[in-house]
Amino acid sequence: MVKERKFLKGPRLRDVSTYEFPGLKKALSLGPDRIIQQISDARLLGRGGAGFPTGTKWDLALQQQGERKYMICNADEGEPGTFKDRYLLEERPLKVLEGLMIGAYAVGATQGYIYIRGEYSEPIKIVREILEDAREEGILGEDIFGSGFDFDIKLVRGAGAYVCGDETSLINSIEGKRGISRIKPPYPIQEGLYGHPTVVNNVESLACAAEIIKQGAGEFAALGTDNSRGTKLISLSGDINISEVFEIEFGSCTLSEIIENLGGGVRRGRDPKFVIPGGLSTAALLPEELDCTYTYEGIESAGSSLGSGAIIVVGESRDLVDILLKVSRFYMDETCGTCFPCREGNKQINYMLSQHRNKKFSGQEVELIEDIGEVIAAAARCGLGQTSLSLINSIFNKFPEELIEEVIHVD
Amino acid sequence: MLELENEIFLEMVHNIQETYGYVPEREINQLAEKFDQPRAKIYGAIKFYSMFYTEPTGKYVIRICDSLSCHLNDSHDLLLAVENFLGLKNGETSPDQLFTLEVVECLGHCGEGPVMMVNDKMYTELSKGRALEILKECQ
Repeated sequence: MVKERKFLKGPRLRDVSTYEFPGLKKALSLGPDRIIQQISDARLLGRGGAGFPTGTKWDLALQQQGERKYMICNADEGEPGTFKDRYLLEERPLKVLEGLMIGAYAVGATQGYIYIRGEYSEPIKIVREILEDAREEGILGEDIFGSGFDFDIKLVRGAGAYVCGDETSLINSIEGKRGISRIKPPYPIQEGLYGHPTVVNNVESLACAAEIIKQGAGEFAALGTDNSRGTKLISLSGDINISEVFEIEFGSCTLSEIIENLGGGVRRGRDPKFVIPGGLSTAALLPEELDCTYTYEGIESAGSSLGSGAIIVVGESRDLVDILLKVSRFYMDETCGTCFPCREGNKQINYMLSQHRNKKFSGQEVELIEDIGEVIAAAARCGLGQTSLSLINSIFNKFPEELIEEVIHVD
Repeated sequence: MLELENEIFLEMVHNIQETYGYVPEREINQLAEKFDQPRAKIYGAIKFYSMFYTEPTGKYVIRICDSLSCHLNDSHDLLLAVENFLGLKNGETSPDQLFTLEVVECLGHCGEGPVMMVNDKMYTELSKGRALEILKECQ
């Protein structure tokens, strides 16, 4: 039986006046180098979806010279099926704040930002109050806990643009521009917000950092597997009986066990038609592919990726074209329009799909969709574009009988 | 470049919209002056974000998510019922300026679909009947 391993989850934690900030206090006594050593030893990988090592990011930022540096919490959670950051912002926001402050102290940032998507009205309210309380209590401001560390945080509300979850788009958005991605390099660590070195971390990564410093890198690294340390918050949704945020120790179970034991099984049926293991940007897995262990490497070996941890279960009786259209409409609506192949390609694919209600696709059409996908993957400069066809192509690959016309060979 | 580090453009636009219900042209002109930018650039930045409006909206902005997870929880039926009740399609505002209907991508309550937002308030696990009740209360 799969059980949750609660490293990040816990009782509601929102009262600044009674919270001791144990991780932050410890961090202030360790100093930047030893903080970053701890995060690197814990082998924490960024939890927003890309999986870049957080310790490396902080180390590179620390080494940057600059009159000022910025530290940003990316709370622009917007990939359909993902709601784990909302859990942290609503239930454990002080851990997120603490992680952001630890990161800022470690890299030498004096100004922080929390960028929360505009639709998250409840988390916005909670975080706004916490920032006010923290300022009143002297947790934010000058000479924090007598350490000489000065730091404050501004809350920025997004305004309905999924692409702002990309770190360079997010930076443009805070600067008051259209939220389109930037060409890298320079990376934000070199030239980010207003041209200064900038670290952007996901909400969950920061909460992990706060716990790693408090409990020790060893505690975290002891969880999980060699390549996937610690725990992961997963958002379970779709055709499933229990749909919520769970915390899983990496490697402690398989995808199918998550669905059966934590999710209470597939709703209205025994087997799913397919499962999306990491959000709309990851390839679908068939029921027989769900015995992979829940780790970065396990899901990769099954042919997909862990992404943001959003597991969407699709039931047996679902119409594939209907689902393809939903996925495609998301990318058509949310492309920022900068890279031509992503803007036009996703629109054309949506058009092609909309012509196929109750009608199969010809081999030529499927080839065209694959081609467009390849071009977008090669030409788009942000992750949204690059992965926009992963799911759609995987559905064509895995359900040819249902979607593609039979080829009649004439001798 | 809108580089006024102490003034966050997005927050200013949010505040304008909270005051007027949309971003009126005179405010765009003022932003252009403040940030020393062409009006077109300010307008272009504002129009990028789907939550900002440069035309008056209804008193109640109704947002219904029809992304995949909600769709699997029958959000499409909810949407049809609301469209029918309001006599509006995606993006339209009622002639009496009471309602604006928006079909949106993911509101982050994927485990509690279908969901509907009325201005800032989120309603989860909605039946069609309950949704219409909520809308009737707004009238």
